[in-house]
Amino acid sequence: MTEKIFEIRHIDKLYGTLLANDDVSIHLNQGEILCLVGENGAGKSTIMKILYGLEAPTDGEIFVKGQKVHFHTPSDAMARGIGMVQQHFMLFENMSVAENIVFKNEISKGLFMDRKQTVQTVRKLSEKYGLKIDPEAKIEDCPVGLRQRVEILKILYQSAEIIIFDEPSAVLTPLEVESLLETIKSLAASGKSIVLITHKLQEVMTVADRIYVMRAGKVVAERLRGETDTDELAYLMVGHHPALREVPAAKPGKILLETKKLSLHREGRDILKDIDLHVDAGEVVGIAGVSGNGQTELEMCLTGLQRPTGGQVFLQGEEVTNAGVKAHRDSGMAYISEDRYLWGSAGEATLSENVLMAKENRPEFNSNNFLKQKAIKAYTKRLIERFSVKANDTEQKIRELSGGNAQKLITAREIMMDTPVLICCEPTRGIDIGAMEFIHDRILEKRENGCGVLLVSSELNEIMTLSDRIYVLFEGKITGEFKRGAVDEKTLGVLMLGGRHD
Amino acid sequence: MTKLKKFGSKFLEALGQPLVAVLLSLLIGAVIIGLSGKDILSSYAIMFKGAFGDGYYLSATLQRSTAIIMGGLAVCIAWRSGYESMGGEGQMIFGALLSALIAYYMPGPGIAKILVGILGAALVGAVYSILSGWLWEKFSVTFIISTLMMNYIANYIASYLTTYKVKDPQSRDINSIQTGKLIEEARFGKVSGLFQSDGLKETALGQYFKDFSVHWGFFFAIACAVLVYILLRKTKFGYQSKMNGLNSRFALYGGINARGMLYLVMILSGIAAGLGGAFEVFGSKYRYIDQMIFSTGYAWSGMVGALLANFDPFGTVLACILLAGLSTGGSAMQRSAGIPVETVNMLEGIIMLLMSVKLLHLIVIRRKVSREDRLKHEAELENGKEAEAK
Amino acid sequence: MNISVNYLASVFNSTLRYMTPLLLVTLCAGVCSKARVFNIGLEGTLLMSAFFAFLTQYFTRNIFLAVFVGMITGMVVTFVIAFFIVKLNGEPMIVGMAINKFAQGLTTFLLQMIFHTKGTVSDTSMKGLTKIAIPGIKDIPVLGTMFGNLTVVDYFAFVLAIVMFIIMYRTVIGFRIRCLGINPEAASSLGVRVPRYQIIATTLSGSMIGLAGCLLSLGSVTMFMQNISAARGYVAIAANNLCFGHPLGALASSALFGFTTALAQVLQNSALKQQLLQCIPYISTILAMMVFNFANAKKKQK
Repeated sequence: MTEKIFEIRHIDKLYGTLLANDDVSIHLNQGEILCLVGENGAGKSTIMKILYGLEAPTDGEIFVKGQKVHFHTPSDAMARGIGMVQQHFMLFENMSVAENIVFKNEISKGLFMDRKQTVQTVRKLSEKYGLKIDPEAKIEDCPVGLRQRVEILKILYQSAEIIIFDEPSAVLTPLEVESLLETIKSLAASGKSIVLITHKLQEVMTVADRIYVMRAGKVVAERLRGETDTDELAYLMVGHHPALREVPAAKPGKILLETKKLSLHREGRDILKDIDLHVDAGEVVGIAGVSGNGQTELEMCLTGLQRPTGGQVFLQGEEVTNAGVKAHRDSGMAYISEDRYLWGSAGEATLSENVLMAKENRPEFNSNNFLKQKAIKAYTKRLIERFSVKANDTEQKIRELSGGNAQKLITAREIMMDTPVLICCEPTRGIDIGAMEFIHDRILEKRENGCGVLLVSSELNEIMTLSDRIYVLFEGKITGEFKRGAVDEKTLGVLMLGGRHD
Repeated sequence: MTKLKKFGSKFLEALGQPLVAVLLSLLIGAVIIGLSGKDILSSYAIMFKGAFGDGYYLSATLQRSTAIIMGGLAVCIAWRSGYESMGGEGQMIFGALLSALIAYYMPGPGIAKILVGILGAALVGAVYSILSGWLWEKFSVTFIISTLMMNYIANYIASYLTTYKVKDPQSRDINSIQTGKLIEEARFGKVSGLFQSDGLKETALGQYFKDFSVHWGFFFAIACAVLVYILLRKTKFGYQSKMNGLNSRFALYGGINARGMLYLVMILSGIAAGLGGAFEVFGSKYRYIDQMIFSTGYAWSGMVGALLANFDPFGTVLACILLAGLSTGGSAMQRSAGIPVETVNMLEGIIMLLMSVKLLHLIVIRRKVSREDRLKHEAELENGKEAEAK
Repeated sequence: MNISVNYLASVFNSTLRYMTPLLLVTLCAGVCSKARVFNIGLEGTLLMSAFFAFLTQYFTRNIFLAVFVGMITGMVVTFVIAFFIVKLNGEPMIVGMAINKFAQGLTTFLLQMIFHTKGTVSDTSMKGLTKIAIPGIKDIPVLGTMFGNLTVVDYFAFVLAIVMFIIMYRTVIGFRIRCLGINPEAASSLGVRVPRYQIIATTLSGSMIGLAGCLLSLGSVTMFMQNISAARGYVAIAANNLCFGHPLGALASSALFGFTTALAQVLQNSALKQQLLQCIPYISTILAMMVFNFANAKKKQK
């Protein structure tokens, strides 16, 4: 009988009305590599953040080595030997590798830093675990893979016994991933216990001893590696979906939006590489992919917020590659941003001000550069009613709305632009089922009116339901293109996770 | 009832913070007066009387408020759009100097002198303001450094010119560093004799306004406030600039041209400040006197006023009149109680400090933004700036 | 113009005297920026320190006490700034300007209440900071001019630059301050109380502004006048930007601006008029920032 080094019992986590963790119970054995897999928003990261003291559980208990614990801060968790390599590295840019590792537990001679000793200790540590680094290199000069190694060493320096990796491979190149997996294996071999949060199934099959599959906040399956394969896991992750709604076949017309060899190269990496896609009149085109594979950059290049480093973008036959947002919008494009707070709205502005954005030049709201306040208010009211946004007043601040209602209003704004092209990214993130169907109807309605819609979503279900054509985006490249009905969820799931299409 | 409640909360939100700030600062002022051994209540009474006590004092306050209001409007336009320019002072100095020179040297009828003078002031204010915008856009020189340095530079250049190049030819006094005095026709007229008709003369209102006499500049400033109000609240520009100030990324997302916005905002705010200088010349001083803007701190008072009003043009007018009243009342207090008028500067500093934090949130609502959120937000803003720079 | 060796020596001497107050303020600005406290209230802090140091000396004739009071003033004011920014989430820009405005009001108010004047106060019987004449050097013609008329604090400023370098770059405390300034989130995720560090570090560094204030009112001349700080607080922000907050770099950047101020002084006898000369430090500040940012942007592009 192996020892349970930690055990989580019946944890619930409520964010507002969203149940992020629903009665989650998992445990980790000494020296084991445990994988938590699931789609985005399945609750994997949340549960680990609770374990690491970053979030407080709404309900449930945590035991570490048999003792019940309450973590309020990560320091509490660290004191119990739990360390976490987070997705966003917590590093001090222009400090050296060694300095980053010893922060908070510095090696000193009196008041002074003992730089020699620091470097030596770190070097020894790195040799002990076979994690090669140059202790004196500056973090800003380190590639991502090395930075991650520094994070791991930082945790080892604090003598953690449990190491949690949150999507560690999301930011790495394939070669770096390989060496990371080696590291994880050797750490486990040296007696550390590992939790790996990921949705890349090949990795899981390479390193895991045991696997939990999570979906919609619940643990839906527990498997030993020997008992399962990537197909089953992919299936378990995505789950069974209700029968797809009947959508009549599309009648595509002329090309509305087109890219030719669109590329974006940044900081030595290809974020986007030679993207060729087109959206025709009267069709919905889906971009399927796990987030972080270039979706954000793709949408920014398409909307003019980002200048691509190569290739061209055409809207209704006119090149708009470097023309800027206004030109894109003027040539008939509306855009629902995936980040509604950062880009899609101004929290301190009123609902009608938020609704007016990009419409302030239209004659129905503007006469000789004076705004027609009444018309704007009436229009806002119409949107609020039509999209059943829960709001008191058109003049309240959008920050006062709940996330779902704000999303509805923003979606409404862009859909009602009546442009030939609509780029919509995560249009239904965080809103309830009824509203989701409603928004889906609107998107399909646009299609019927002969508009072209590009849909970027991490909800596979949404993509499958609405899209007449689907592109699969993986690591900045289009790795597959399918017509409606020509592909099933399982194949798509495998492709999205970097697998091959047979 | 709910309407009343809603109005109440709106009222609290709009006026609570400035009221608390002003009251607290008056309280601190009382402590200072008390410490210097004077009677607090009578000092404040003298101050109030010296600011708004009768038509004469009211006139002094309103005339003083003219340049302050213009400085405040300049801040409203710029800060509301997200550009924290503090160059109002320099723009005002050049506005005042140029308008004084034009009106003194340009031949022609008085009204032409005034009109061209005002035009020149607007132009020079705008140009000087654009310069700081250009330093920001092209060289990332922050407004705090560029505008403050430019204020000093403007003051010294104006000082140089008035000392050596355009000194009043009629003046024999070597110590009076000033330009020539404008002829009667090239000055603003005064509005006076309000409520002095036969029926009203004997009423309290008529008595109060007996010595009321305020130059046109004040009314022009009010007109400017109305214009700024319309511009900011009713036009496309007002909408776009507000969005730019609230979330510059949202503005980009909507297709607003950030560069065009910057320069337009700088021009308008520079015009407002430049006009403030001109109004002061045509209405009060009738010439440019060395240090006349720098030492009075009109632009700074305007900034405090705009902050108090949360960049609302009409609120700014009220706040600036209040601040001007503090100064004129302060002078009265100095004359009779021997308390220096500079106390007012201190009070303005305290008001500003209190306006820097969400007082009501701290005191009444006790809602505290978590530090992490703020840091995250700051980091995002920084990234945003970098992204824009690229 | 007759450029003699002696003339250059006196330029050098003026540069030194103008740079030291600026250096001290820049060092404080350096700590603030490293700790990520955006402090633009340096100007007002400097003004108040200069005033209270002068006041103490005027009444007690105890130079040690005067310097002490100056330093305390610098610390108290900086604490208020840091507290408002860090703890109360005040808008840094407004907090700083408020302090500057308040300082202006307070000093003129007290000047009037105590000395009944609006302009300048000086008392010939009053002694300032002790001047140091290095024995071997003072009689050598050129060197004597170069290092003449410098006070203890002037020399100490240079020492402080080195001390600050050691504190910020060699000790554990300095290491932590620099780290948390780079990434406060990371520091607090490791259990460091970031606000506390920020407030303590900036407050202590405020004492250097206090010293700078002493140099202004009790240094080469013993007097106080309205607005004696003359935008040095703002120039220090620029100087700090130029040296990325590095204490040794502050030596160079404050020397640059010290030189431009000295230039205004020594050119007095030339054809250029006083008022135009006084613009030089301000214009050169903007120019320096332009060149510096431009070069940086170019470097980043590569």
